[in-house]
Amino acid sequence: MTQADAPDRLHRRPLSRIVLPYAMLSPAVLVTLAIVFFPMVQTVWMSLHDYVLFRPHAFDFVGLKNFRTALNDEVFWISLRHTIIWMAATIPAQLLLGLVTALLLNQSFPWRPLARALIIIPWALPSVVIALMWVWIYDSNYGIANELLLRVGLIQRAIPWLANPDTALAAIILTLTWQGFPFFAVMILAGLQSIPRSYYEAASIDGASAWRQFWHITLPGISGVIVTAVLLRTIWVANSFDVIFVMTGGGPGYATHTLPLYAFIKARTNLDFGYGSAIATLFTLMLMVIVLLYLRRTGKAVQ
Amino acid sequence: MTFKKTLGLASVLALTAGLAHADSTVRFWYHFDNADNPMDDLVAAFEEANPGIKVEAENIPWNSYYDQLYTAIIGGSAPDAAMVKMFAQPRLVEMGALEPIGERVDAWDGKDGLQDNLLELTRAADGQTYYLPVQYVVLYLYYRPDMFEELGLAVPQTCDDFREAARALTRDTNGDGQINVYGFGFRGAGGGHDHWGSFTLGREGVSLTEGLTSEAGIAGTQFVADLFREDGVFPPSTPNDGFQEIIGTFKAGRTAMTIHHIGSANGMVEALGDNVSATVVPECGGGRWTAFGDESTAILSSAEDKEAAWKWISFLSSAGNNALFNEATGQLPVVKADTETWSLHPQRFVQATVDSLPFAELLPNVPETSDFVNTVWATAMQRVLIGDITAEQMNAQIADLYSN
Repeated sequence: MTQADAPDRLHRRPLSRIVLPYAMLSPAVLVTLAIVFFPMVQTVWMSLHDYVLFRPHAFDFVGLKNFRTALNDEVFWISLRHTIIWMAATIPAQLLLGLVTALLLNQSFPWRPLARALIIIPWALPSVVIALMWVWIYDSNYGIANELLLRVGLIQRAIPWLANPDTALAAIILTLTWQGFPFFAVMILAGLQSIPRSYYEAASIDGASAWRQFWHITLPGISGVIVTAVLLRTIWVANSFDVIFVMTGGGPGYATHTLPLYAFIKARTNLDFGYGSAIATLFTLMLMVIVLLYLRRTGKAVQ
Repeated sequence: MTFKKTLGLASVLALTAGLAHADSTVRFWYHFDNADNPMDDLVAAFEEANPGIKVEAENIPWNSYYDQLYTAIIGGSAPDAAMVKMFAQPRLVEMGALEPIGERVDAWDGKDGLQDNLLELTRAADGQTYYLPVQYVVLYLYYRPDMFEELGLAVPQTCDDFREAARALTRDTNGDGQINVYGFGFRGAGGGHDHWGSFTLGREGVSLTEGLTSEAGIAGTQFVADLFREDGVFPPSTPNDGFQEIIGTFKAGRTAMTIHHIGSANGMVEALGDNVSATVVPECGGGRWTAFGDESTAILSSAEDKEAAWKWISFLSSAGNNALFNEATGQLPVVKADTETWSLHPQRFVQATVDSLPFAELLPNVPETSDFVNTVWATAMQRVLIGDITAEQMNAQIADLYSN
């Protein structure tokens, strides 16, 4: 009996070993397929059709028409320009502010645990709350930003930060920088703490200045973390439109339109899902190119 | 014996019918800004009068009301009945989302109690009745009599008077060198088309569907642009200002005039007492135009129990209930009997509403109006206000939309 069982069990073990990883992974993969991959394919499919939601029976294949329309659409190019400014300003600003914060928090001083906890607050708040909060800060009648600047004497009269096309985008970029820098700070702080103390001790015995220590020990030590954090933030910042949507709705005019916001407005408010999908698809492609280029360059640099 | 049997069977049938009815739930969507929401009382009163029908009333935020409604219809999760405005009707009809209620209205004993002409106004382009009116308002001009008196100004009758008054009213009243009172609170963000309409659409030969690109039409938009860019009589935040902002700044005494309807009258009186009054919008370019603010209820074609849904919406437009409903929204009842006993608003605001009725109009009853209201108008107006495009370009964009 036992003799007959033994080879059977031996035979079964490798099979279960083969099946097990798939079995463990499949729920996650299936869910991802269902809620991420399937809608993505659906978006691409919709972008090839004339699909306006309030005409549910008309779903005509039009090939690349929506894409051609987008490339000839003035608003598409305005939105693209704003998206580039939006990303190029927000991410470096968040990174720098996060880096400085992390370096400060890495020093020992009393209340450090409290400071570390407080710094995470902007990141922990919901975007809508942040947006509403900053709308009040920028308010031209009652806002604290104008009040402070007027008292200090930096401006002569209240500025409608969000209603002025020259300042609206910058004002929102400042808001998002404030919201996002704790993420960098926390990530970089974790990286800093993984650098062995002995490196710094050895460097100071050799007479390296603080700047040299930062340049040759700290920065290489956290470069991996920075690359990952920048990559994640690039994707998040590029796609985030909730703060803009709540603060200005893309206005005044098109002054704060970005591509994800434009796609959203086209699809959700104008109910033109075909065109909205085309804009979203174009933007996804552009973002993929940026991410790939970034990974190639930084991947080499880190190695 | 047979009689008893039949009786028994009949009562069983009646009981089952009653039971089947007990399952009936009416999902109703509405939008109230007022935190003081009487919907629970209305639902309780209705459920008591109609045992077996349950009403699930959901308050949907106004800003995304129609986005949510359209999406829910497409997604198959539409409510059974909903509060709806005329501008959305052509699109809802095109989607096949509405249930015709003409026969039900004709058979309903409350029909004759409705204000004259409301059912005509809300009839669809295809001749069918889909909407049952539930409240209405007419937009008029709010002004600060104390400020006008202080400066010796007369209440403006024409656009020229209006401009002059607005310029005089824009001033620094506390001596800090900063302008702190502006002549007019203009709604530059979504929903402000009514303000623009009063300055533009009253002009001779101008409407949304024709004459907009004529000299008179462009003059209307240019008038608005000049008030902001040349005269500076609107607050600087105007391009982003919505309902909350224009009402808030007027109540706070930072604007001397604005345009809205009786729905905000009580709040204004609470803040300003006798220092707020109302009159008809000024005459611009030979005519007046103001918006007729309609609100109806409708049954959706996907409703499971349409009879129950009808009972609920007709309940809301019946004497007494309609008054309670409007006490919350601060608008005017559609039921004659409720209007006669209406004492919720100070007389001067009711008078301004009545005086405005002769030239109050609805927006064109075509699908394009949805886009005009939701996106096209606000974006174009904001661009004019910030100097991105000209008045001529804005009017051309709107004319373009309507000519498609």
